[in-house]
Amino acid sequence: MIEFENVSFSYTGQEHGGLRDINLKISDGECVLFCGRSGCGKTTITRLVNGLIPQFYQGELHGRVLVDGQEISNIPMYQIAAKVGSVFQNPRTQFFNVDTDSEIAFGIENEARPPKKLAERVEQTTEDLHIQKLRNRNIFELSGGEKQKIAFASVYAMNPQIYLLDEPSSNLDMTSIQELKEHLRLIKKQGKTVLIAEHRLYYLMELADRIVYLEKGEIKGIYTPEEFWQLSEPDREHMGLRAVDLQAVFPPKAHLPAPPPVLELRNVTLRYKKQTILHDIELSAGKGEVIGVVGHNGAGKTTFSRALCGLHKDCDGQFLWESEPIERKERLKRSYMVMQDVNYELFADSVEAECSFGIRNPDQTLVNATLEELGLTPYRERHPNTLSGGQKQRVAVAVSMICGKDLLVFDEPTSGLDFDSMTQVAGLIQRLSDMGKVIFIVTHDFEFVCRTCSRVLHFDEGEMPDDVPVTMDALPKLRELFSVSDGKER
Amino acid sequence: MSGKRHKKELWLDPRAKLFLILMCVLSSMFAPSLAYQFILVMLIAILGAFCGKWKYVIKAVCFYAVICALTVWIMAEMTGTLRTMFIAFLGLFHKVYACGTLAGIVLTTTKVNEFLSAMNRVRAPKKLVIPMAVMLRYIPTIQEDWRYITDAMRMRDVSPSLAGFLTHPGMTVECIYVPLLMAASKAADDLSVASVTRGIENPNPRTCLVQIKCGISDWGVMAVAVAYLIFELCVRGGVIG
Repeated sequence: MIEFENVSFSYTGQEHGGLRDINLKISDGECVLFCGRSGCGKTTITRLVNGLIPQFYQGELHGRVLVDGQEISNIPMYQIAAKVGSVFQNPRTQFFNVDTDSEIAFGIENEARPPKKLAERVEQTTEDLHIQKLRNRNIFELSGGEKQKIAFASVYAMNPQIYLLDEPSSNLDMTSIQELKEHLRLIKKQGKTVLIAEHRLYYLMELADRIVYLEKGEIKGIYTPEEFWQLSEPDREHMGLRAVDLQAVFPPKAHLPAPPPVLELRNVTLRYKKQTILHDIELSAGKGEVIGVVGHNGAGKTTFSRALCGLHKDCDGQFLWESEPIERKERLKRSYMVMQDVNYELFADSVEAECSFGIRNPDQTLVNATLEELGLTPYRERHPNTLSGGQKQRVAVAVSMICGKDLLVFDEPTSGLDFDSMTQVAGLIQRLSDMGKVIFIVTHDFEFVCRTCSRVLHFDEGEMPDDVPVTMDALPKLRELFSVSDGKER
Repeated sequence: MSGKRHKKELWLDPRAKLFLILMCVLSSMFAPSLAYQFILVMLIAILGAFCGKWKYVIKAVCFYAVICALTVWIMAEMTGTLRTMFIAFLGLFHKVYACGTLAGIVLTTTKVNEFLSAMNRVRAPKKLVIPMAVMLRYIPTIQEDWRYITDAMRMRDVSPSLAGFLTHPGMTVECIYVPLLMAASKAADDLSVASVTRGIENPNPRTCLVQIKCGISDWGVMAVAVAYLIFELCVRGGVIG
């Protein structure tokens, strides 16, 4: 049993993410979902249970958090670890080993189980989670979804009574989310207590016993899934929550007629390390078009985006811009990629400096106008790294506008975003589209695609089998592409 | 488990590797002349080749050969301040190069868990071992980061090449170290969190899925290292030659 008794917490030197007067009891075997806007404190709740607060993150803590009657802050981390297992958001950086077998065994090795037991437990875990294919592999070669499975397996091997998952789906594609759901179902059946903090709600609706809604660090409501289903769409959106049922998400009825093509790809073949990744791609895109790009991990979405931007060298075929052939270097000048981790493309020490970074004679009026346009003027003196994820994304977009880029590629712009931020990104993309930019969006987010994209490209097995308009007519196909199951599962 | 590891590549105990690094430092320090330095690098290259790091050692040896040739040329041709300057710089370079090459091989062939349990066997304090393990784990991450960063630089019209560095050194350095530093600090936090929540701080001696033990090859390699050091010392002391 987990008990929160009048718990309040605030991080040192940080306004967001604190908690106020939390009182909550979670019984054994319960599955509780914590949701709410970014910064509402849902991650903080998980950190209180696995002891990272107060032992790793500093701040002011009042009240008590008890697990099985013991106060968490008095137990050393390694003892908590045996009882509480944690899976985190970013699969890239939760590994300690470079190969999968050692990683699965990492937790139980720390528990100092005898070597024979270690091997047995690793085997058992592999079998239970059906990850035979992932054994004895280099972790850096795995996809995000596969990495997340290994992270889960490592915790599963330790067999804790309580599982904590902090936005586990942020970096996963639809299939991996389904598989994660199966794993959660398994541990729930084993009678484990499961706490999940998450923005994507739809895949948890049939697993959660209770849904706790947090706002500004306070519990604003506790729902059963049935009650949650009853919430009207406007109410839910007002709460800042993502869709609970992807069946109820629809594309717009119709789009404006497609504009005349400005970018054309003829017979384009892409190779990576001498292997063909995609072949014979034919494509044309008009000004202001917003095109979604989907496909499994490893289907070639990244290589395709990099080739579009002129970052990938090994490609055949022709790229045309306004009917003129456009070489790689030329494409590099015209295009900009907004990366999933925007931190890699922010170099300067203030937002304003960032906007004119690397430009010989920056046009100050253009910089000012762009900052104003994107609502960044209040932050112009701030260091880019002190901004929120969405704001950083806007800085990157501002840079692309000032450099006069016409072709923009967004890589997973909504991973880990709540409803409000997602609509903001959608608004931003709409604005870029109105300016006549050609926009590609690599994404797994069905809700977001329905709001922004006019078409979806699907890559699979080295080809582009589908180019689907995002309209009501194409709904069945779209649902298939995004693995939106047909509602029976409810 | 062991299938992949034993595919004809030499596997060394992390303890043996640490011993090799120590021997390498000493051998470098006591090397009587450039020729002995070169032999040392060659020996390391042979070890690297056995460990399956072919490309790495070929590059390392070629680069070193160039530097050696340059050193010989400078010694013969140059005079005055320039010569002193170069010799001071190159002297340091030669002392460090062999160790650097060996460290590269060690870092890329050592698994984190092997390292952890080896350190446990020699009862090294956890306060020292854990940061080293995090470092060991972090190195491959830099390669991934590097790709993203160079992409971002190209899109901003900053060339990530050597030429770019020479024409705009300040900007190039800023472009690399700012994002790398940010990524590093975040990764370090995440890694620490991921390890403490899985009980790395457990004071009981850690067990390991992979059984580490010092085998014949470990003793063999260590013997070669010691022999070379003694040989060098003898040359220095005038016992031989």
